[in-house]
Amino acid sequence: MASDLIIETNELTKSYGPHVALDKLSIKVEQGATGLLGPNGAGKSTFFKTILGLIQATSGEGKVLGHDIRTEGLAIRSKIGYMPEYDALDENMDAIHQVRYSGELLGMNPVVAMSRAHTAMEYVGLGELRYRPISSFSTGMKQATKLACSIIHDPQLIIADEPSNGLDADSREAMLVTLSNMVHSGNRSVLMASHLMDDVERVCQNIVLLHKGKLAAQGRIEDLKAIDREIEIHVWGMASELEQALGKEGLEVRREGRMMRIRHDGEKTTHRILKCAAETGAQIRRMHEYEASLEDLFIVIMERFGYGVKSSEDLLASPAEARKVDAPESMGGSGA
Amino acid sequence: MTEDETIDASMPVTGQSRMDAAWGSESSEQASVAQPVAQTGQVFEQVYVPWEGSLNPRWMRNWAIFRHHVLGIVRKGHRPWGVPTKLVLIFVLIASMTDVALTLLFAVIGEPSLYELWGVGRNNLYGHILGFFPRNMLYYPLVAALLVGGVISEDRSNGTSALYFSRPINRFDYVGMKYLAVATIQAFIIIGTLFLYYFVDILAMGRGWAWILDTFPLFLTTVFCGLLLVMTYTSIGLALSSVSRGKFFPGIALLALLLGTKTLAAIVEGLFDRSILYLISPYDSVAHVGQALIGTNVVYDHPWIWSLASVVAINAVSLYVLSVRVSSMEVTRE
Repeated sequence: MASDLIIETNELTKSYGPHVALDKLSIKVEQGATGLLGPNGAGKSTFFKTILGLIQATSGEGKVLGHDIRTEGLAIRSKIGYMPEYDALDENMDAIHQVRYSGELLGMNPVVAMSRAHTAMEYVGLGELRYRPISSFSTGMKQATKLACSIIHDPQLIIADEPSNGLDADSREAMLVTLSNMVHSGNRSVLMASHLMDDVERVCQNIVLLHKGKLAAQGRIEDLKAIDREIEIHVWGMASELEQALGKEGLEVRREGRMMRIRHDGEKTTHRILKCAAETGAQIRRMHEYEASLEDLFIVIMERFGYGVKSSEDLLASPAEARKVDAPESMGGSGA
Repeated sequence: MTEDETIDASMPVTGQSRMDAAWGSESSEQASVAQPVAQTGQVFEQVYVPWEGSLNPRWMRNWAIFRHHVLGIVRKGHRPWGVPTKLVLIFVLIASMTDVALTLLFAVIGEPSLYELWGVGRNNLYGHILGFFPRNMLYYPLVAALLVGGVISEDRSNGTSALYFSRPINRFDYVGMKYLAVATIQAFIIIGTLFLYYFVDILAMGRGWAWILDTFPLFLTTVFCGLLLVMTYTSIGLALSSVSRGKFFPGIALLALLLGTKTLAAIVEGLFDRSILYLISPYDSVAHVGQALIGTNVVYDHPWIWSLASVVAINAVSLYVLSVRVSSMEVTRE
């Protein structure tokens, strides 16, 4: 396996009886920041537990920071920092002592752990509040404390599960800036699971998208966005005729009123659009390349799986919506 | 002024500095620009500080768990035990030393008949560990209930299980160290005071080697019975704590189990003159084994080996429940 990869899995499968939680996942995560996306039940938690060496994979293999996930779970957990999504703090303890204890649990001696706890609390912006009981903390402060717990031993890889979950705008900003700084100035890697596309896009250069235990997409966000290149036009008059003409021309069109987005289909796409406009007599008032967001990318990928989702929020944030979305019958599911 | 220097609040205000700030350079060839030390709107400068140290092996991690729980009784910054728990521990510790105090008192004032009543002997050693009233009716079950209450269940409710299992700690070490910590605190009160009792007698009465050699096996047997009691209470208590998310239920359930089974067995014995039901009572089973081993009057009709089997079975079932529940504790969510 290549040494510049921090996580690499090959045909990794985890089954719970007949239920396949991870289905032949072959993932390559490079150094830097990577976002892990997927609807509820996609297998994110199972993936985390498997790469942390907490559960045994049914088949396949994987390495994290060069350690085998099947046999070297303890070594992996010594080198990574895990920031759980849910509360993982003793509310009755002072923040500094909680962080110090998390260092001791890694094998640091108490004096070193205390010293590092001060450094970590300072780094996450809680330097002045470190002797306050955690019960008096806001959600943002608790998230920051969890981050401090995970970075106390200066891990090579930080796994952050929904780090900005439930945070207000300021706290969210602080969390994202902190994670970005860890990658850019701290030269550490971050694997970040989130259902907030904007957050992932701000921190990460790469994404891994899981769906129903399978790998839906992985790679650099910029590269993946290329699959969703579109040309946006604003039309004055004869919009319906133009839409039909573009369809006949073999171009894929998404229309909202007078605004249309046409999927980029080679270098002559612009010429073909203008030709259709000339034929139908439609005026094109504006034409430009549309820069897709990660949200758009997500929707496109989901559409390719056969799902008609309006936004990632529907799918990622709401368990009820996520349950509704199932593979179409043609793909072996019970229908959307 | 060179390019590397910055102008900030700590810099002395000199004519040169003013000129540098105003004109940006001290000469036409050398540019100098005031640079902010932090970005605008930034409260602190966020600098990631790497750590070059190495992590200690498994024993240090286990020691951390043990230390966290035990030191929490006396020091801030470790596991925050409640004030009522600490007060009860102090009270029971003092109350457990009444025989020590009375031995010392009557030995010092030279009152042989009263000393005989309180001094080290077969019955008094048994009574220190396994006497029912008040020790095993009030003191020790209460201590066990207060200690085991939240030891596992709070990790489940707070989500702090993730703090343990996302680190290089396996479940055996986790539960083993918690078990050891709770048992140690109980043993400090129950067996620690037994040690004190025995050695105070030696010192106060000026015992010789002959007396020590004569009584030491008895003392060791009593220590063994004390360990059996501590293990039984801890096993049951932690098993109850592992099936709960709060600290009230495990504590109350432990008290109900210890005292309820004894009460039920006592009622059955009163009605039918049969002691066999005492096998379901953890306290009575340990007490029966203790009576047989220490050599005091046995008050049960059934063979003591049955009680020993009962103690083993109670511990085995409790540890099985504990291990199953701890193995199901989650890292990603609880």
